[in-house]
Amino acid sequence: MAIQTILVINKSGGLVYQRDFIKTGAKLSSNEYLILAGTLQGVVAIASQVTPKALQISAKTGSKTANEPSQLIPYVGSLGAPAQNLSDMGSFMGQDFFNESFPSWNQSGLKHVTTDQLSMFLYQTLTGLKFVAISTQSTTNAMAVSIAENLLRKAYCLYADYVMKNPFHDPEMPIKCELFDTHLAELVGQL
Amino acid sequence: MAIYSFWIFDRHLGNCIFDREWTLKSNQSSGTTNSKLNEDTAKLLYGMVFSLRSISQKLSGEGSHNEIRTISTGKYRAHILCTASGLWFVLLSDLKQEDLSHVLRYLYSEIYVKTVVHNWFSPVDFAESDSEKRGQGFRKIRNRNFLASVERFLGPMVN
Repeated sequence: MAIQTILVINKSGGLVYQRDFIKTGAKLSSNEYLILAGTLQGVVAIASQVTPKALQISAKTGSKTANEPSQLIPYVGSLGAPAQNLSDMGSFMGQDFFNESFPSWNQSGLKHVTTDQLSMFLYQTLTGLKFVAISTQSTTNAMAVSIAENLLRKAYCLYADYVMKNPFHDPEMPIKCELFDTHLAELVGQL
Repeated sequence: MAIYSFWIFDRHLGNCIFDREWTLKSNQSSGTTNSKLNEDTAKLLYGMVFSLRSISQKLSGEGSHNEIRTISTGKYRAHILCTASGLWFVLLSDLKQEDLSHVLRYLYSEIYVKTVVHNWFSPVDFAESDSEKRGQGFRKIRNRNFLASVERFLGPMVN
């Protein structure tokens, strides 16, 4: 699974970060990426509205506890783990950013889109920030989805470390941060 | 296997010509067929597929073909088949179904083509005038053969 692009979308639907990792992919102008981000924001909202009636009924009749464990995303070990330089983990201790399964904060919104050539994964945070990865492999495999969620959560860890702790960064504005750039490239490179 | 609903959209931007929604997993004949109440959901679903489809076509670059296949959310997965004549077949299922494109292909080639296209009494186009295009249409597939075949084929998959 090669990652073609990673995007970060802020809570109002604006694109704050976009980076291509392979040169062969389609070249979109920055304006087109902005439109893409805005469209995704809208679709995330619509997707939860289209929830089938069967699910709405079963949620009402109270099988809530049965639904919870499926929303836990398993930890995928050694994914993009820094092999030698432990000092490069920023403010995270240990071998990896985290080492257990984590709950998904995106309960009913858009998560994953596949097309003939690509698949797109969305990771949503509690604060409304969205991380999007576009991969050059089209797969609906549950394993691939959890790998992508793990990868994007690690990107979120990097965001927390190198973007949020940057005093020159204005939230909701495009991210211009070299450390975030290099570490994200490293993370994707290790995949 | 669990499927939740099945939709067909024609080429006139957002006209839903068939919808079938099952409401109870335990009951194959539960739910609604061609219901007025589903009109709004159909429009939302159409809009969602339309925007993601345009994104996917942009991302593939010039010349190459990149049709959308599935859309998954935290709760369900939508499987999509777009035909060259502009028909969209959309099937909503639970997250355990990874790829139902073969089911959609069968629905198109064995059920839709044989009971609607090969049927001389069925209209070729479900919008009869300009005022029924662009999502304003209200004509649905009411062909008895089609309804029965869809029910026979998809019914066992509901649970």
